[in-house]
Amino acid sequence: MAHARDNAPGAGGAYWMLIPAVAFTLLLIGLPFLYTIYLSLHQFVFGKDAVFNAGRNYLLMLQDRLFWNGLWVTLLLYGISLTLQMLFGLYLGMLLDRSVRGRGALRTILISPFVMPSVVVGMMWLVILDPSIGAANYVLESLGLPRSTWLASPLLVVPTIALIDTWQWTPFVALIILGGMQVLPIEPYEAASIDGAKRWQTFRYITLPLLRPAMITAATLRSVDLLRFFDTIYITTQGGPSNASTTLNIYAFRVGFEFFDIGYASAQMITLLAIVFGAVMAFAQLRRHAL
Amino acid sequence: MTSAGKRRLSAALTYAQYTLVCLVIVMPVAWMLASSFKTSAEVTAYPPRLFFRPTPANYIRLFSTTPFLEYTRNSLIVAGVSTILGLVLAVPAAYAVSWYRITWPATLTLAARMAPGTLFLLPWYIMFSDLGLIGSHWALILTHTVITMPLVLWVMMSFFDSIPREVLESALIDGCSPSSVLMRVAVPLVRPGIVVSTILAFVFAWNYFLFALVLSGFSSKTLPVAAFNFIGEGATNWGGLMAAAVLIALPPLILAFCVQRWLVHGLTFGAVKG
Repeated sequence: MAHARDNAPGAGGAYWMLIPAVAFTLLLIGLPFLYTIYLSLHQFVFGKDAVFNAGRNYLLMLQDRLFWNGLWVTLLLYGISLTLQMLFGLYLGMLLDRSVRGRGALRTILISPFVMPSVVVGMMWLVILDPSIGAANYVLESLGLPRSTWLASPLLVVPTIALIDTWQWTPFVALIILGGMQVLPIEPYEAASIDGAKRWQTFRYITLPLLRPAMITAATLRSVDLLRFFDTIYITTQGGPSNASTTLNIYAFRVGFEFFDIGYASAQMITLLAIVFGAVMAFAQLRRHAL
Repeated sequence: MTSAGKRRLSAALTYAQYTLVCLVIVMPVAWMLASSFKTSAEVTAYPPRLFFRPTPANYIRLFSTTPFLEYTRNSLIVAGVSTILGLVLAVPAAYAVSWYRITWPATLTLAARMAPGTLFLLPWYIMFSDLGLIGSHWALILTHTVITMPLVLWVMMSFFDSIPREVLESALIDGCSPSSVLMRVAVPLVRPGIVVSTILAFVFAWNYFLFALVLSGFSSKTLPVAAFNFIGEGATNWGGLMAAAVLIALPPLILAFCVQRWLVHGLTFGAVKG
């Protein structure tokens, strides 16, 4: 702290400014986090004392078919959604970078999907994707394609949810990419044009590498949200049909709040946090190499 | 082709793509809006009706048959008070982090951004049960402050960073206490930041679903949870469902359009400007 005090007069005043926020964080995030770790090591039923069961919750998890199902659904949803959102986001970000009139209007429209409450997005797509009266099937039929059961199909439910999430969050990825595009240096492009580089070569060897930091930022933020995916699934399918869209987060929630197996649910949530944390660390590592 | 012709062609191609992107984004929302003005016969008609006589019946029924106003009031209380609480906690903290370059408190709040909300819900549920706060507005206000406080902190940090250090240094040398420098010098200089972070915090608290799903009671139910319950009750009443969806989405949409320049900045916790 001595260093900070040298630079800034009156550093003693810093602490009272920080204490409320830090105390709040410790009370509502730190303490519950430690309590969840504690619970994850115990057999816990409401109204009774917690009984220490030495990691048995974690062992149970390894033998639980539904846990592995949850992990698979989580990773599948993550893989499909992240791929689609990064690809379309890159395309859309570059499209927005072209200076033509009306760009501002498009940007305004682009923010609407991700500022709408997830409940509204879920309800909206429930109506559109309804197997019997939904507009989506009408579009398919008019194109001469067969109708689909969308969210009611065990096979299609994960891709369908991935599409909904892609609709909602691709614009967000695009705006991050656009932010990266707007600070690109000019010199490499001038050099490339003197060397007679083709457009795709410029894209592949100059734009893409220079955009890596922005892409990693977008991918990190989307990973955090996608790995703990909850809202849209809970609103549209509650994890069904027959657990086909039960992500780890949905499963842990149901174990905790529907089956009231608090200890086991806590163990799952700690595991999920470790997965999210691992992904964030991996992207941080990638970023270090990108710079 | 002449270069002017080439330029015109490329502009035309850009506009074609713009139009396509707009359609993909706007069509579902427009369909929701249209459905909210249809009668129950029209909304379930197949093939879907593109042309119909709009009626406000779904909206009228929403207010006359459900306590929609009460849910709105609950949402306003929860989002409003948690925003104020977030500002009170985070503005001084953001100033301290920015001025004294003590970064760990900011990093600490990022933990809240990473952890699944469900992880905190179990201990919160037990804590608030012990305190007898389940179903009260306070359980919701405190937990939604977990959303608003870090958001305000990170947005305000970059605003405080943009104040030239000499301005604050000269105030301190003139003998102002750190607290009066914050209130009389720094805060007036970052008024736009206060507006932006207030709006963003309100929008995110208003939209948040999970915490209220578990912690709200009969009399503190917020709009997203009420709407979620409508899905279960009114599987056949699509029109009413869409009317509720439109009304819930309106405030965040309008507010977000006002601060769109700052939206991505806020959502990325300052990692990206603009």
